[in-house]
Amino acid sequence: MKEDAAKICRRLLDSREVDGVLGLEMVGNIPTPKVFAQADDLGRFEVEPVFPIVTLLRNIWPFTGKERIALVVRGCHELAIKELAKREIVDLKRIHMVGMACSEEQARTCRCLRPYPTKTDIGTKVKGVEDELAKSLRKMTLEERGRFWEEQFKKCNKCYGCSENCPVCVCEDCALEDCAFVRTEGIPPSKAFHIIRAYHVADKCIECGECERSCPVAIPLRSLQRMLADDIKELFGYQAGMDDRQSPVVTTLEDAPLKEESE
Amino acid sequence: MPEFEPRILAFCCNWCSYAGADLAGVSRLQMPPNIHIIRVMCSGNVKPEYVVKSLVEGVDGVLVLGCHIGDCHYISGNHRTIKRFALLERLMDDLGIDKRRIRVDWVSASEGEKFQKVVSEFVAQVKSLGPNDIRRDAA
Repeated sequence: MKEDAAKICRRLLDSREVDGVLGLEMVGNIPTPKVFAQADDLGRFEVEPVFPIVTLLRNIWPFTGKERIALVVRGCHELAIKELAKREIVDLKRIHMVGMACSEEQARTCRCLRPYPTKTDIGTKVKGVEDELAKSLRKMTLEERGRFWEEQFKKCNKCYGCSENCPVCVCEDCALEDCAFVRTEGIPPSKAFHIIRAYHVADKCIECGECERSCPVAIPLRSLQRMLADDIKELFGYQAGMDDRQSPVVTTLEDAPLKEESE
Repeated sequence: MPEFEPRILAFCCNWCSYAGADLAGVSRLQMPPNIHIIRVMCSGNVKPEYVVKSLVEGVDGVLVLGCHIGDCHYISGNHRTIKRFALLERLMDDLGIDKRRIRVDWVSASEGEKFQKVVSEFVAQVKSLGPNDIRRDAA
């Protein structure tokens, strides 16, 4: 897979279609993020493991001028870039996406419903995997669910990995870093931390699972986001990344009437 | 053992619900004294964070009251309220927190009686739920 990706990126760089390729470089055994500006460097180009490449793109974006950037995107990365473009944080005209389908094993680890981008340049599409944990959580009673999450949240050491690595956690003034909402001292943090984090990304979460992957204590945040995505679809008929319209939480009722309105 | 008396916060919008509460007061309508009213300019500027914070800090229930849909002083402020809290209630349900501790309702300036009704109902509901268990020390 990485040879195909490197070949495509080399062609893009040679033809001057893009000015840089954002990707991973093998330094020893460690994949390290890098912007490749010379085609000759692409020898150490790497596409595995899954990496929060969109978060990187978002972080370097203010430092770019007119350069066009290419990057190898998975299904989730593509949706994340779309969500960022919708909020005018990045400009789609300056981004070249090379689509890559995930392997079956990867889709299973991520419990991903859509492990492929719209346009697949590398790899073959595999079928999506249902999130069994989210399903079983739905079947539990309220008390059981409360106990489950309480046990999980007890492990949290407030490292902020889930929000720092999230590609769509974009507020400039972070509510999680505001001591009015989350106290500075104390571990584990209060439930406010988790409720506010989930609420803030709810309307833009594209379910890449980066929160869960970054979590050092393995809280199954991916399943929480899955349940929340279902809720949003039920309430507003909206799917982050797939819909071109604005997030329903920041619009008036006209384009998405709720049930309560008809009363 | 004395009966459990819940502490309840009510966010009332300046233009409708606060005036409604005022009307309920001057009309001498009887209602439980458990609520503490916070006046906000619009129900649309009650962030869900405020509600989450109050629950985590130990308030037993939160009321969010605004103008009726279509009557908002700021045209569409309460459109946001209704969507945000629908989402927050779902999220709380997913996390196993009782969403009956939150209530969003519309009270206009002339509805003193509705204010009384909403407050009495909500206080009775929260009383039946018992003390708040999502407090910081429980989390």
